[in-house]
Amino acid sequence: MTAVDRAGRRPLARADANFALRIVIILIIITGVLIIAPLIYAAWISTHDTNVILRRSMFIGLGHYRRILASDEAVEAMIRSFEFTAFAVVASIVLGLVMALVLNEEFPGRRFLRAAILLPWAVSEVATATAWIFILNPTFGALTGLLSLLGLTEPNHVWINENTALYWVAIAFVWHVTPLGTFFFLAALQTVPDSLYQAARIDRASAIGRFFHVTLPHLRSTILVVLVVVTVEAFRSFDILFAMTRGGPGTASQTFPMLIFRYTFEFSKYGLAAAASYILVATGMVITTLYFLVLMRRRRRVKVDKESAVETSVPILAEAGAS
Amino acid sequence: VIRPVGQRVALGLGIALVALWTFIPLLVMFWASLIPISDLIAGLVRWPSSLSFATYRAILGIDRMNEVFGGQAEAIARGFINSVIVAVPVAAIGTGLAVLGGFAFGRFRFPFKNTLLFILLSVRVLPPIAILIPYFVILSALHLVGSYLGLIVTYLTAVIPLLTWVLMGYFASLPVDIERAARIDGCGRLGALLHVTIPMATPGIAAAFVIAFLTAWNELLFALILTGGTARQTLAPALLGLSPTMPSTGTANLGLTLFAAASMLSAVPPLILALLAQRYITRLNVADPVTLQGE
Repeated sequence: MTAVDRAGRRPLARADANFALRIVIILIIITGVLIIAPLIYAAWISTHDTNVILRRSMFIGLGHYRRILASDEAVEAMIRSFEFTAFAVVASIVLGLVMALVLNEEFPGRRFLRAAILLPWAVSEVATATAWIFILNPTFGALTGLLSLLGLTEPNHVWINENTALYWVAIAFVWHVTPLGTFFFLAALQTVPDSLYQAARIDRASAIGRFFHVTLPHLRSTILVVLVVVTVEAFRSFDILFAMTRGGPGTASQTFPMLIFRYTFEFSKYGLAAAASYILVATGMVITTLYFLVLMRRRRRVKVDKESAVETSVPILAEAGAS
Repeated sequence: VIRPVGQRVALGLGIALVALWTFIPLLVMFWASLIPISDLIAGLVRWPSSLSFATYRAILGIDRMNEVFGGQAEAIARGFINSVIVAVPVAAIGTGLAVLGGFAFGRFRFPFKNTLLFILLSVRVLPPIAILIPYFVILSALHLVGSYLGLIVTYLTAVIPLLTWVLMGYFASLPVDIERAARIDGCGRLGALLHVTIPMATPGIAAAFVIAFLTAWNELLFALILTGGTARQTLAPALLGLSPTMPSTGTANLGLTLFAAASMLSAVPPLILALLAQRYITRLNVADPVTLQGE
């Protein structure tokens, strides 16, 4: 009872710990019933061959899992998921960083623009898809219209084709998700000590040199956070792909979550779909663990370097936007 | 600040690009909702014969233009109402429970705290599609497919861990002294939470409420599976029904203006909320769960 912790708070009494534990246990029970129980049920479904019409199920062990891992369709879908994720992560970090650098400067209207860049994040993935359909559509799309007006493309140019569909959806997704990165970066940029820039100026470092030698190293941990958050969001993304292309044309933008959806509702192969879900969850768990490890490492660094402790990190917001 | 010409030009260019990238998609969609369908099919980049809010009026039921859209405008209006009926309770209940959870995690130390936090976080990272199949089967058996309740419960599972995380950070950042004083004056733990901590945490709680509302309002997958095609269909699946299924084939139909206007309308509550709560959300300075273990 006498020790004082870092924040100057006395450790709380045992009764307080019990009180907190009770609340948390209630929450865990709620999540347990609502999520873990269904997950266990999904495990049962994934190991059984169910005949919906005859209402009979037969245990087949890992049969569904083997079928998925051996299927070209599933492997291709997983590769597409990784491609989509990689593109979204790289693009949203670069773009988010550039936008943050611009918004970190002083100019008239900066406050308005800072507030406004949050808008794409607030708009749903479905509405994002709508907006980009009106840009990309070959008949009436704005991009086609503009470029053919300038004589740069033929009218009715088909932007979303077998080779490009996945990337166009990824671009729309980046539009929706980038505001988060921008906000992380903006918060972090405000904590770069001015003295560092002054020192760099005395050393006659160019603007580009200052960016690479002062700004970027300072943002390293923030970049890691954005990286992990966008990875999680992009990897499990469904809404925008479904709303924009339904996985098409053909299977050109059929990512792993899209494939699970087709297994479930197009082919009514619940067992196969549940097994595929587990493969997705397993990958998701790897990412979660990575997430935790990254944040743990950050914390250690924060302890060492008080200056970067001020640095905000709002990874949670990312999670909010993309659901 | 006085900058060299080169830097001024670069900054101006940067500002222009940020603004264009942010606003153009929204403006294109808005433009498409204002022009007559005949002009729309001919292309967005040309001067239209007229501009009007007729499609919005049809959705809001002000005009009797509904016949033109074959009842689809009415379906959008119903979807809008259904989305409100689902999103408001999700935000209210979710925020309420998360205040308790965030208070417990942000303020107290207790055994297995890290483990329990990890369980909560892993739930958050779970791909929604992974629990889709069991949910669909279980909710079908309970006759909750096509009900508000099924969808509200589903969204709560997503929202509670998320908001607990948000509020945990917020509570941990608040000074504990006033709460302690209230306790000494005879307030119980819940009394102190209710009378002292919650009033102090209002900005964080407001931001949490907005995040929960946006999550429920914007979600498509579960809304489609649990309410799609029923009288309880929310806005997101209703919008999907208007979408030209394959943008690449360039299907243009009468519903296109409606599609644009309805998508625009669907974005209005999130846009307003985001702007209102913008200050709080960006100040949420929380959520690095690991730096907030309350040691």
